[in-house]
Amino acid sequence: MPTTISAGDTAWLLMSAALVMLMTPALGFFYGGLVRRKNVLATIMHSFFILCLISVQWVLWGYTLAFGPDKGGLIGGLDWLTLKGVGQEPGPYAATVPHQAFMVFQMMFAVITPALITGAFAERKRFKAFVVFTLLWATFVYDPVAHWVWGGGWLGQLGALDFAGGTVVHITSGVSALVAALVLGRRVGYGREPLEPHDATMTVLGASLLWFGWFGFNAGSAITAGGLAANAFVVTNTAAAMAALTWMTVSWLHKGAPSVLGAAAGAVAGLVAITPASGYVDVSSSILIGLGAGIFCYTAIQLTKRLRVDDALDVFGVHGVGGAWGAIATGIFATVAVNGAAKDGLLAGNPGQLGIQAIAVGASIVYSAVMTFVILKLIDVFVGLRVPESEEVLGLDASQHREAAYQI
Amino acid sequence: MEILAFASFVVLVIAWLLAPSRGNVIAVSRKSEDRKAA
Repeated sequence: MPTTISAGDTAWLLMSAALVMLMTPALGFFYGGLVRRKNVLATIMHSFFILCLISVQWVLWGYTLAFGPDKGGLIGGLDWLTLKGVGQEPGPYAATVPHQAFMVFQMMFAVITPALITGAFAERKRFKAFVVFTLLWATFVYDPVAHWVWGGGWLGQLGALDFAGGTVVHITSGVSALVAALVLGRRVGYGREPLEPHDATMTVLGASLLWFGWFGFNAGSAITAGGLAANAFVVTNTAAAMAALTWMTVSWLHKGAPSVLGAAAGAVAGLVAITPASGYVDVSSSILIGLGAGIFCYTAIQLTKRLRVDDALDVFGVHGVGGAWGAIATGIFATVAVNGAAKDGLLAGNPGQLGIQAIAVGASIVYSAVMTFVILKLIDVFVGLRVPESEEVLGLDASQHREAAYQI
Repeated sequence: MEILAFASFVVLVIAWLLAPSRGNVIAVSRKSEDRKAA
């Protein structure tokens, strides 16, 4: 393995970090279009604020907790607190890029993950509660799970495959979103009045920018600028497209019209599902993963609505279910023909990998659900989770930020 | 795998051909009435 810095790899990784950075404000617009106009600024602010907050948290203590020298398979040591020792030379995770480049690429993952959860508690969470929740959740949920899978922790040692974050990013955020929706309760007017998206065009633009940034997310996770990155790029695009087509088709057959918002949500579901698999599966498998994402995520959202769970922007259905499907699909479709450093999945004659993937999925679900519940309950006691009903009716833009999105 | 991938795409194309193609006239007129009332 080369130990000198590769200009090509470094350029690709830094570019990928920038692409992933764009995903968080893009998510703000994706979510912002889906809420009512009185809450659009507050919703976009969730993503923008997290970009700032976790950027600082990550360099101070987040990176060392996630990627610092392993402590018992559970957490990273504090050796790299405030990035001490994380410099321009390659680190232990990537031999051809500066350690700082690897660190900042991972930072963007840490940023977007808690931002995904905000869609579940949109339109009703107190801003102060959101700030405290994000900081605690990043520290006690994201950082440990990232360590388990990518930082030399127990799931990585077990052999769990997660190329770009199916368990670390999407299951943790999706399950936490469901818990948050249940703990916070339904929005005022839920089921009695329409809580319609105020700007579908903003949502489609956000989804498109997410898709664009996702090339950095998945293809960048190859770390090197070579064939593996190219494969991840191609399967990412294919799965997103297939899931969008599938979701739109299912909604067309189910509700009588090809939904534009459905196509946008379907693309995101496909991107989520291919994320853990993108470095291990071929193009044909990515079509089937996209197909499954469109069907499973759409069905999960219908079920959530039937159970009257107010996961406002369908985070659990898209990220929780999409991430779990992607992680399981990795255990089915993975092949060393794509990535010689990985392992075969079920269809290539290694059924044990499917079991390992199931363990990773189960552990991520249980840990993130329990920790999120505890964090939310603590915040409810000390800060209060929800805004008062009068402020919710007025809208969070005015009540929390004293600003308005539109002067028209 | 390749056959399954092909087949799933073909199923989608067939579904588009079979899916309803008439616009929802009632909903459209109801929306325009709502706008007038507003």
